[in-house]
Order: sequence, then structure tokens, then C-alpha cells
Amino acid sequence: MRLLLLLALPLAAQDDGVFFESKIRPLLATNCFACHTGSALGDLRLDSRAGILKGGKTGVVVVAGKPEESLLIQAVRRTHVRLKMPPVGALTQQEIALLEEWVRRGVPWPEAALPTIAATTTKISAEQRSFWSFQPVTNPTPPKVKNEAWIRTPVDRFVLARLEAKGLKPVPVASKRTWLRRVTLDLLGLPPTPEEMDAFLADATPKAQTKVVDRLLASPHYGERWARHWLDLARYSDGELAAGVDTPLANAWRYRDWVVDAFNNDLPYNQFVRAQIAADFLPSAGRESLMPGLGFQALGRTADDQVDVSTKVFLGLTVGCAQCHDHKYDPIPTKDYYSLLGVFRGSKDFEFPLVSESEVKAYREKKKKLDAINEMLNDFLAEQSKQVVDHLSRDTAQYLMAVWKNASAQEGLDTETIGKWKTYLNVRDKDHPYLKSWYDLMAGNPTEEQVRAEAARYQQFVLELLEEAKEVEDKNYVAFGGKKGIKDEKTRQYTNIVALPVLKFYQWRELANGPYNIDGFRAPAGVYYYGPKELDRYLGGVAKQYVDRLRAEANAIEKDLPPMYPFLHTVSDTPKPADIHVALRGDNKSPGEIAPRRFLSVLCEGEATPFQKGSGRGELAEAIASQANPLTARVMVNRIWQHHFGQGIVRSPSNFGQMGERPTHPELLDYLASRFVESGWSVKAIHREILLSSAYALSSQSNEANLEADPDNKLLWRHNMQYRLDMEALRDSVLAVSGQLDRKFGGPASAMTEANARRSLYLTVSRTRLDATMALFDFPDANASAEERPVTAGPLQGLYWLNSKFVAAQAKALEQRLAREAGTDTEKRIQRAYQLMYGRPPDAEELKLGVEYVAAGGNVWQQYLQALFGSGEFTSVN
Amino acid sequence: MFDRRQFLQNLGGGFGLVGLQGLLQSAAQDPMTPRQPHFAAKAKHVIFLFLNGGMSHVDTFDPKPALIKNNGTPMPGPKIRTDRASGNLMRSPWEFRHCGKSGVEVSEIFPEIGKRIDDFCVIRSMWTDIGNHGPSLQIMNCGHQLPGRPSMGAWVTYGLGTENRNLPGFVVLCPGFPVLGSSLWTAGYMPSIYQGVHIQNAAVEPDKLIQNLRNGELSPAEQKKQLSLLDQLNHRYLDRLGPRQPQMESAVRSMESAFRLQTEAGDLFDIRKEPEKVRARYDISDFGRGCLLALRMVESGVRMVQIYYGNGQPWDNHDDIMVHSKLAAKTDGPIAALVDDLKSRGLFDETLILIGSEFGRTPMIQNSGLEKLGNGRDHNPPGFTVLLAGGGIKGGLAYGATDEFGFKAVENKVHVHDLHATMLHQLGFDHTKLTYRHAGRDFRLTDVHGEVVKGILA
Repeated sequence: MRLLLLLALPLAAQDDGVFFESKIRPLLATNCFACHTGSALGDLRLDSRAGILKGGKTGVVVVAGKPEESLLIQAVRRTHVRLKMPPVGALTQQEIALLEEWVRRGVPWPEAALPTIAATTTKISAEQRSFWSFQPVTNPTPPKVKNEAWIRTPVDRFVLARLEAKGLKPVPVASKRTWLRRVTLDLLGLPPTPEEMDAFLADATPKAQTKVVDRLLASPHYGERWARHWLDLARYSDGELAAGVDTPLANAWRYRDWVVDAFNNDLPYNQFVRAQIAADFLPSAGRESLMPGLGFQALGRTADDQVDVSTKVFLGLTVGCAQCHDHKYDPIPTKDYYSLLGVFRGSKDFEFPLVSESEVKAYREKKKKLDAINEMLNDFLAEQSKQVVDHLSRDTAQYLMAVWKNASAQEGLDTETIGKWKTYLNVRDKDHPYLKSWYDLMAGNPTEEQVRAEAARYQQFVLELLEEAKEVEDKNYVAFGGKKGIKDEKTRQYTNIVALPVLKFYQWRELANGPYNIDGFRAPAGVYYYGPKELDRYLGGVAKQYVDRLRAEANAIEKDLPPMYPFLHTVSDTPKPADIHVALRGDNKSPGEIAPRRFLSVLCEGEATPFQKGSGRGELAEAIASQANPLTARVMVNRIWQHHFGQGIVRSPSNFGQMGERPTHPELLDYLASRFVESGWSVKAIHREILLSSAYALSSQSNEANLEADPDNKLLWRHNMQYRLDMEALRDSVLAVSGQLDRKFGGPASAMTEANARRSLYLTVSRTRLDATMALFDFPDANASAEERPVTAGPLQGLYWLNSKFVAAQAKALEQRLAREAGTDTEKRIQRAYQLMYGRPPDAEELKLGVEYVAAGGNVWQQYLQALFGSGEFTSVN
Repeated sequence: MFDRRQFLQNLGGGFGLVGLQGLLQSAAQDPMTPRQPHFAAKAKHVIFLFLNGGMSHVDTFDPKPALIKNNGTPMPGPKIRTDRASGNLMRSPWEFRHCGKSGVEVSEIFPEIGKRIDDFCVIRSMWTDIGNHGPSLQIMNCGHQLPGRPSMGAWVTYGLGTENRNLPGFVVLCPGFPVLGSSLWTAGYMPSIYQGVHIQNAAVEPDKLIQNLRNGELSPAEQKKQLSLLDQLNHRYLDRLGPRQPQMESAVRSMESAFRLQTEAGDLFDIRKEPEKVRARYDISDFGRGCLLALRMVESGVRMVQIYYGNGQPWDNHDDIMVHSKLAAKTDGPIAALVDDLKSRGLFDETLILIGSEFGRTPMIQNSGLEKLGNGRDHNPPGFTVLLAGGGIKGGLAYGATDEFGFKAVENKVHVHDLHATMLHQLGFDHTKLTYRHAGRDFRLTDVHGEVVKGILA
């Protein structure tokens, strides 16, 4: 094979080799290998000469020596009718020329000529390693600028230098009012109060802004606001996706509250990261307080989800894409995916108790005892229920006669059962034939004797049917090794290996079965069926005493039983964590080589060292939280930037790979990342770096020249408006302004109702039934990590402002607040309303509009304030 | 000054799909603007009637005489793994009849569809990857077995926008919730304007169907006055912001469309406005009333309507396949009525109707011990049936085939991805080019799969 290929090489092999290795191979690797190696799209492989000459589904792709006739060249020139490659964007003219030259030379592919990328290679080329985000973080010196007067902080130098280089001028800074409203909503998710606004306006000292930022960062509401950004990434939910309603994650809120505290206490970010991957591996001193962080992993559905979300969130890498094939764009071999998957497969969910071992034990013992009594009670009642069926069925003929005579009660018969018979017989459309002769008889004018005979026949049938049903049940127990006569509810449920014939089953169900209610079909309880709650009147003597005693015991324990002890949703290592096989093409049934548990190859120098301790989660956490990791700090400072500027410096905040965006200000990103590490990974330090800059203070107004040159504002010549506050800030602002906001911190989630006035952070998040109002205002789907929130507007949002009872109630509350705080004077009230809502006084025209509006009488104040709530000025931030 | 005219011109321009998303995310685009697809579309609307739980194909639209012959015997050949233990082959309790001019065979439990079979294409060779409801529902609705991807309706609305900005683009009807609930109509990583608006249609009164549809306190006149105030406030604000803030303008405009929605939806969602004669054909079940609402919504320009037959998974008849006849009785008539009325209102050709489930049911009896009554069938992902009608689909066609017993699709196999590709094709899209950039990757409804099923196109 190799010999053949060598022979096939043209004479100028030596030069061709250099040409190929330096020009062509990198070109193919960057542009073609993603789809035309292992996954061979279009049945074409471009990673060997043989593969290239063989061609693909469309036929021969390269005619050696003849570029004009080669499909490959037509495709990259984009002159072919259908094939235009690469699909993500055309090559440069220079690159096309290189490929043409290569084909002209006869497609040389030197020596080894083996496919470049094996299915699970771990070799990563120097070129791949040279990608910007894998480079060590540098500490660039803030550049010199022309307009020194504009500079407030080092951040400004990076921003202005780029603007000046393009000959652009930033717009003026925003007013003090705008700045305070912006920064307060950014940091707290709540608007500034009129008093805060006045104080800031009155403060002419140079430190006025610093004081504000310090005040806001010290507010406990800051953690509530910034935790929510993190929870979007962590796909936080109070329950797990399930068939009907979420399976509750009853203690998920403890993780949420821990995130709030982490932001408020400025927990060093590297520690924040470690806690969420491997708190259980940290030194025992202080470990307890970091354990809730493991909720990040426990909220994941599967180990696959844990790999995917952890790498996206902490590293900005889409490692999940390497589950079935080597990553199409980034140097993440499939094997690396399974190295990390092995780490998470070596861990399992663990309910970490927050009380002493003895308390756990005491609770479990009591609970066990209660369960045992309830089981005895249920077993006994189920048995009684069957006996009642047996008992009643022996009078079947009499019941039929009673119905025939239209008696509502009769000596010796159960009145309720007569009624049920009447109802049952009234519906003539039966799924079985066993009452056909009865109905036939009824259709004529039968004698009592005839009816009696028919009733007797039917009773005989019923008794035999019930006997047969019992035999079926016995057979099912025996089939599963049970002894005839020894039955318990636990084994019965899943041991129906034989069943009654279908039609007999229908009749049995209508006589003896409990209410039948599966999704597709509902049936009432059988005529003779009385469930545990309806049985009491049939119980007497010893049986009644027995049931009463069990009930009393159960009640006593229940009263004594505390609610289940608090615990954390965490993960812990399995007893024997092990390396796992690569699943070829993502298929578990096709195991490939073993993938040692270790860190991502591209982030290690040379071969990655296998993890040594347990599952390896501890070492994984260290590798991610390491100062040497080029991604971790960059990714986080970018997220902080994103929430202050509406866009990250890298505009794909969870993808710092090949297909992600490139940083608009690479030096600025590195400057912030190195400041982040220097400050001891202090998130608050980065807020300060950013918020005190001129760049952050810019107005959001437009400028024709700048708009023309940079329509997407990548160079930050103005502030990006937030066209609509996110759902939490929106609702919380309404409550804050109306004065109704319940500022209690933490605790279990509660549903979004009209009466619920807690901050939106504390509303129940569901994966199965996302609250309709939350969804309406772009709350993310908690089944996946959300790196940003799109903002949409539609008529249903309008209806919320116009018609929802919540907004109406808040407007009413605000009306009362205005009366309290501004007295009876209409103008004063309107002024107060503007101060509370918009952080500014109304102008004369606005005052006039308001005065005229509320002059009409009726509930005009409520209508007026509701309109103010729904206005663009209230719902956006400029 | 704010340049309203410039803004409206931007809106009116219409955009091809190239760079659509970029436009959405940059300045001047309203994500619901009606848009031209890649090529001339056959269909403009989609109605997806979802028989959740798994309709048995061998009892409805895929007749298998071999099941009659081999009733009660093991399926020949190597032992096949099903989700749960399966027993012997079980014949369908119902007869199949040749229907229409085409002679396509339909079970007697769907007599009305049978009469109209020449309008339907019966794909008998559907298959999917997984036999659990969860992942299968995700694949059928969102094209991927893991939750969190945008649903079909989100893709359709993203691609085409809406014809009626006073109404949502994508509406989902169910008396309550199907299994997995809102994750089946999510917009995933797309803007939430594309998500399905879930309407619990057990009620009939419009204001019980749509959240906040009515203001209990204000008269329409008062509300108009309130809106006029709001409009003035908003324009003052826009003036203050300066020119070129089109997205802000678009955000405040939602108030005006909300007001129009109140009026329009009040009528639209009130099926009592239909003549008694029309209503009677639908008014036999929640599903039926849903069909009538779907008709009215499509008529008003809603892009996609999906109706879940019922809460949970009604068609999941593990115990007793006979339940299928009760379900069919509540489904057959309304579907027929929907087809008839779409035709009479001139909407049939431009509306693609899909009828199907997340998977089919086994030709074998289920025998796993889970069920009390041994008369049902288990999940069957390797072979099942979906019906299509309208929207440029060939009628009177039975396409593809399962094996002799109905277990596995063998001829002209159609994967769920292919169904999605075909749906998008009828709407005018090349499914490989309708992409959404998220987290640095271009995502598609069909992931990296899907072929248009050319054989069923009219």
C-alpha cells in the first residue's frame, strides 16, 4: 500500500512534501477535515491521497494535474452548480490558488500517507494549539490614546485606542440619572429609589460613582441579581423533567442560595468553580460551606449533561460535540470526551444530609416504622375490599331483582350497591356479551319467574368469573415463585404473566376493580368495589378495632415525625470509579479504546496525565480552576462584561472555540482576565474595573457616522440599550416601585401567583411546566444551559401589561403609596410616580398629560399608573 | 427625531433567509415579519395532530394479513428485542377496507378518514431511534432526543414569521399537558417569541383559553384612552433616545398589537361563533374542538397549530388495544371535518396536515407483566405510520412499507428527520440551510440528517 502510494508520487516529491506540509495540509485540516475525515460526509474522505482520489458520492473529485476538471476546485471556487465548499464560507483567492497548484502538481501527499486523523486520535497539532483562546493570558499594558481626557480607568484605554484607530469618536457620556438607573438595575435588578437618585445628584465629589458602586456591591440584592445570571448557565430548576409534572428537587434552592451568597461574599471565583465540580474533594476546613456548590452537577440529568454543561460554562468549550466524533472544529478528540465522561460516570447523585448522623438515623427509623404500618393497613384494607366483593357478589341475583322491581332499598341488601347496579345497568352499551340475555329479556315483557331465572344464571356466571380471576391471580404469584396464599401488594403489581380472557376481564373490571383511570380510558369503580376509604361501614368487631389501632399508631408517628431532614443535592464518587471505553459514533454498543480519565489534551502540555484520586473530579476541578488555564478567567470576565454591556467581548460567551466569535478587544479581555487572577479571582473587583469607566458611562444615543462604520457597535462607541428588562428585573421593579416587594432572602421556591411578592429569583422553575408568564418574557428553558437571553416582544406581552391582574394590583398599590407619600395634590403625585418609576421628574408636557388623564374620574389613577408601568421607559434601560 | 417612515420601510423590505438571524439580532428587524423562504412554497401553514402515546399502525393504517394468519404464534425469525417483553403476534381486532379511488386500506375504526383517503398520504415506513416516550417525543417535536432544542413550530415561525402579527405564530392545544409538557413546544435557544403558545382547550370561553385576554375592569373606550396615553409616553421616550432606535420602537409597538389581539382573538377563539352545523361535527371531544380552533387559526394566519389528543399519553395502550377504537371515535370525525372545511374555505392546498405519534405499537401482544389485561401492544420505534394531507402532498398514496408483520420499516424508509426535511421543503425551505447560530454553531431542525421524501410530493 505504502509502496504503491510512493510510486504514485510525482518526481518532485521532495519539494512537494514541503509544499504539502506547509500549505496544503493546514488548509485541508482547517477547512475540510471537520466533515471529510471520520464522518466522511458525502462518502468523501480528504485525509489521505487514496481517499481524495477515490472520490465521493458525487464521483471523482480530483483529476490529478487538471484543476479545471476537478470537482474540488470547482467547489471551492464556488462555480459548481450545487457544490459550494466549504459550506461555512468561501476560501480566499490565495487559498484557492494553492489548492489549484496542488492539483496541478498531481495531488502530492508525502510519505506516511496515512489518514491524518484516526477515529480517536489525541494528537493535536501545533497549529491547533496556536488558536487564540488556548494561549496563556497575557497582561497587556493599557495602550496610549490621543484623548487622555476621556480616560477614567485602564479599560477605557483599550476601548478608546480601537475607536481612535478607526477614526471614530464615542458618543457623550449619559446623564447622571441615566447612569445611576443603569448601574443600579445592572447590579441589583431593581431601580434606584428617588432618595438614592437625589443623593447621587447632590454628590459632586470625584468619588460619587465609586461610592455608588461600593454601595451596590455591598447590597445583598446584588447576589440575588448576579446569581440568576449564573443559574441560567447552570440550567437551574426546582424539579427534574418528568412525564407529568417535575420530579421535585426539593433542596435545589439550597444551591441557588449558595450561589447568591457566593456572589455577595465575593467568594473567589476559582473556589466557586472548584466547589461546583468537586467540593467533596476540598480540604475539610471550610468544605462544609462549599458543599452546596455541587448542586451544579446534581442538577444535571446525566454524566453526558455534566460533561457538556461543565465544559461550556467553565471553559467556554463545546466538548459535548465530541461525543460521537472528534470535534468538527476544535481540537477535542472523541477520546477526550470519554476521558471526562469517565470522571462523571465515576460519580453519582448523593443526598448530603445537613443534620447529624444520629438525626438521619432517627428520622429513617421513624419513617420506616410509619411505612410498615401503612403497608399493613393498606394490605389489610385491600384484602377486606376483596372480601366485600366476594360477599356482595353472592347476592347478585337479588340485586338484579331489586333493580327490576325498581326498589331503592331492600332488607338484606346494601342500599348504595343497589344504586350502583341501577346506574350500571342503565348503560346498555357494554364491551362484553354477558348481560346480553338480561337486556334481551328486559326488552320484552318478562314474568318475575323468567327474570329470577335470568338473574340466577347471571349470578352463577359472576361467581365463576370471580373464581377464575382468583385462579389467574394465584397463577401469577406462583409463576414468580410466590406461594399460593402468601401475597403482598409489592410483588403483585408487576407479576401479571397470565390474564383473564379479554371480554371476561371487562366484566370483571366492571364488577370488582377499583376506578380505572389510565390516560386513554377511564372507568368508574366496579359495582362491588369499595376502596379503603369507603370500607369503614363494612368493618366491624375485631377488624374495625385492628384498623383503628393501626390508624392511631400511624397518626401518632406521623405527628411525631419531623419533616424530612434538610439535605443538599450533591454528587459523590462511586465505590470503584473506572476508565470507560470510547463509544464509537456515540454508540454504547460499539466500544472503542479505553479513555483514561484525565483533562482535555489541548489544555495540557504534552500527553495529559491520568487522574489519580477517585473519580478524578478533584483533579479536574483543579485543572479548570488553575491560574495556568487560559480559558477559565477569560470566560468569566467575559460573562461579567456581557451583563454590563449587553454583549461579551467574545460574543459567544459559552464558545471560545473555532466556531465561536473572536474577541472584539483581545487585549482588554486579557487585561481583565489577568486583573481577575491578580485580585484573587474577585468578581467584585472586575465589576469595579468595568463600571467606573467612561466606556460604561456612554449614552445609548446613536451617531450616523459611527452607525455606518460599526453598525453592531463592536467597538463600543455607545452603550447598548437593553430594549427590555429581563423577566426578573421587570417584575421585581414593578414590585419595588409599588412598594410591595417582599425582600426576604432565600428559602424554598414558590409558584408565581398574583399574591406572591417575593423576588423573581425565588419563583419555582420547572423543566416540564415552565410558568407561562416566565416563558412569555424569555425565561430560558431550564433543560439546557443558557448563555444569553434573547429579548422578544409580542402581543401577548402587551396583554400582560394591559390586562393582568398582577399589574393592576401593583398599580393600585402604587396609587396608595403615592397618596401616602405625596398627599392629595395631583401634580405632586405624578411627580413622585415619575421619580419612583423613571428616576426623573416629568417635564411640563408630561405633567399636563397626567393631570388631564386623571381628571376623568373613576379608577383613572390605576389606569394611568398601569400605562406608566407598560411604557418603554420603565421596561427598558438606556 | 425618530424616523418612523425609515423604520417601516425596513420592515416592509422582506428578507431572504441569508443573514436572517444577523438581521434579527442587529438593529432593524422584527422577528415575526413575514419572510420569503428559499424557494416557492407549497404550504404556508402546518397543522400537526398529535396522537400522543403511540398510535398502533397495524390496527389503523398499515394492514397486515400475516397477523391474521399467524395470530397467537411467535413472530418467525430471530428473537427481537422490544422495550418490554412481548408475546405472540396478535391480529388486529378490526377489519381493513379498501377505500376511495386509490383503494388504500384503512381500518374500520377510521371510517371518515377512509372516505377521504384520496386526500391523504399514508407513510407506512416511518421509523425513529428510541422506544421511550420521552426521547421519542423530543425527536418527533424537536428533532433531537435530548431536551432543550427548538421545536418544529419554533423553526417554522423562525423561518417564515407570521402573517398576522396580532396573533401568536405557533399555538399548541391540549386540554392540559402531554407528557414532557412545555419542553415539546419550546423555542430552545431561539427567542421566546417563537415558542408555542400553550392553550389549555378544555374550556370553551376565549378568556379562559388565553391568559390576560380580557381586562375585567376597563371598558374598551377607557382602554383606548389608556393606549393613546401610552403611545404618547412612548413616543416622547423614543424622541428622547434620539434617532435610530428601531428595536425600541418595535418593543413598544407590542402594546398596539396587544390591543388588536384582544378584539381579534376574542372572536377567533370563540368556536361558538361557528354555525351549529359546523360545530356539531367537531364538538365531540377536546381534540375535536381543537381541530375547529385550528381551522379558525389557520384561516386567520397562524403559522402552525399543534393539537395533542389529550393529557398524558392516551394512545399508549399497553393493556388493551381495544381502547384505540374509543380514541379513534373521538378523532376520526373531527379530522374529516377539518379536511372538508379547509377545502371549502380554500385553505387545504396551502396547509400541511400531519397526523401521527412519537412511534407505533408492536405487532406482538405485550407480555411483560406490567399490564393486568393481556390485550395490548408495546412501543414500536422501528416501524410506524404517519398521515399527511394538503400542502402539496400526494393524496391517495400509501408510501413505503413495514415488513410482513409490521414490526420494522423496510421499504422507502422515512426517518423522523426525513419527515421534518419534507415538511420544511413544503414550506419552501432547504432544511440544510435553515439554520440558527447558537453557541458558535449553526443548528438545524434536522441536525446533520434528513432527506426530503420526494416520492410523496404532488
